Amino acid sequence: MAEVKSMFREVLPKQGQLSVEDITTMVLCKPKLLPLKSLTLEKLEKMQQAAQDTIRQQEMAEKEQQQITH
Amino acid sequence: MRSEMEPLLLAWSYFRRRKFQLCADLCTQMLEKSPYDQEPDPELPVSQAAWILKARALTEMVYVDEIDVDQEGIAEMMLDENAIAQVPRPGTSLKLPGTNQTGGPSPAIRPITQAGRPITGFLRPGTQSGRPGTMEQAIRTPRTAYTARPITSSSGRFVRLGTASMLTSPDGPFINLSRLNLTKYAQKPKLAKALFEYIFHHENDVKTIHLGDVALHLGIDIMVLRNRNHIESKALDLAALSTEHSQYKDWWWKVQIGKCYYRLGMYREAEKQFKSALKQQEMVDTFLYLAKVYISLDQPVTALNLFKQGLDKFPGEVTLLCGIARIYEEMNNISSAAEYYREVLKQDNTHVEAIACIGSNHFYSDQPEIALRFYRRLLQMGVYNCQLFNNLGLCCFYAQQYDMTLTSFERALALAENEEEAADIWYNLGHVAVGIGDMNLAHQCFRLTLVNNNHHAEAYNNLAVLEMRKGHVEQARALLQTASSLAPHMYEPHFNFATVSDKIGDLQRSYVAAQKSEAAFPDHVDTQHLIKQLKQHFAML
Repeated sequence: MAEVKSMFREVLPKQGQLSVEDITTMVLCKPKLLPLKSLTLEKLEKMQQAAQDTIRQQEMAEKEQQQITH
Repeated sequence: MRSEMEPLLLAWSYFRRRKFQLCADLCTQMLEKSPYDQEPDPELPVSQAAWILKARALTEMVYVDEIDVDQEGIAEMMLDENAIAQVPRPGTSLKLPGTNQTGGPSPAIRPITQAGRPITGFLRPGTQSGRPGTMEQAIRTPRTAYTARPITSSSGRFVRLGTASMLTSPDGPFINLSRLNLTKYAQKPKLAKALFEYIFHHENDVKTIHLGDVALHLGIDIMVLRNRNHIESKALDLAALSTEHSQYKDWWWKVQIGKCYYRLGMYREAEKQFKSALKQQEMVDTFLYLAKVYISLDQPVTALNLFKQGLDKFPGEVTLLCGIARIYEEMNNISSAAEYYREVLKQDNTHVEAIACIGSNHFYSDQPEIALRFYRRLLQMGVYNCQLFNNLGLCCFYAQQYDMTLTSFERALALAENEEEAADIWYNLGHVAVGIGDMNLAHQCFRLTLVNNNHHAEAYNNLAVLEMRKGHVEQARALLQTASSLAPHMYEPHFNFATVSDKIGDLQRSYVAAQKSEAAFPDHVDTQHLIKQLKQHFAML
């Protein structure tokens, strides 16, 4: 280990100025972990979906009925 | 000929196997045979049994744990007069989450919701109960947090459920509430309990529909509330009569009265009932309901104390611990929340909510490897949906397990149920593409995000950054403007717009945007630098 240390030494300039240009870069929005859904929420959504489907079917049936009568 | 089974036994068996529709149908047939199905005749115990069973089956079909339900409409949010202090001290209110002093991840790392909270790892019906500040905000669907609750809100969900349950019974409702003689039922405690649950869970929905539809069209929730009151007062009447019958000695009825008051928005009355029930019999449920009342009154500290009292009586109770963690999370005290979620896991090591929250916490505190272990645990437990695979993919990528990354995302995309979910997955894939330096792929991913969900503000912002790298200033500016109008609570689009405007010499616009960015994220160093620079410019003029 001692040999390695002697081989690589950090370079610290003793004279002159060290300048770092600070460039403002644009930021990306961060990756999003998606939250898991609770069982209750899933059940609610399922019930809601089922309800909407029933309503849609009902409406379709009504429309067909109307078309037949006309 | 096949030998027939006794119908009541068969119905009961259906009920136990959770085939509620079959059970209800069979009970209907049985009740049709016996002449009097509106009110069970005490002389006919079989038809009475069928009646109760049908009521219970119908209830179970739409049953949702009342503790979990937190459906707040716009009206309740905006016209809220229950909060005690209008200008609460920091740390005592859920309305002002306050800045994060506890060393959790800053918005520079962890995305925030519209209400200014870090996004959570788990969605419940009541997630994001943080109240929006203005009507404008309330109406706009907060897409970024991807809330559990679309803004049409409580009325919407309950109304549609109600419509369906009414449509499916063409002969009209099972029990005609207006014809019920409640006093009679109140004297039969067993019958009354089944009837109450039926009115509370099932009938509530059915009746909201009439006014509910009108109200939805007008966009006003209040009317629904009024109308709902009508039904709940029915449930309340029954509960009140029953508790009278039991000479105020039955804690169960007191809790039910409290639930009715809670739904009616009479929180103080609900509190009284729950407290009185707790005096008679200490139950975990009652603690949870009472805490819910306090949260509605915007008194998180009281709720916390209550939970701790509950924990004295029921040490290590998971739901109580979880309640504490949720409140801390909502108050933006992430480290305390994580501590309590750990406590939850010590008691119940398959608690999905706790695992998910701790996992996301680790991910955003720069420990994707540990987060990966938590999400893998969820996978082992049998959770199998697009959210989980998306999270696994992200964790794998940032933990440098590249072999699993793309396959996880592929599976997530295959499991996505709707366009919003697919959009979020494409968005995260875009980050993977940025990470490996494939700008074309990244560009395509963010484009696909927007195809799936046209309101994805983060994707607009990231596209703008990519456009800027190509040197397309005007396009970038347009994209940034779209992003900032879609999600004014995010600091990134404001800051980027300020940077771009600054570069092309539009100092005035740059300053305005920088100030918006500072409002969204006060501790952002680059924004502060930019504002300082701009101020110097202006001073020189």
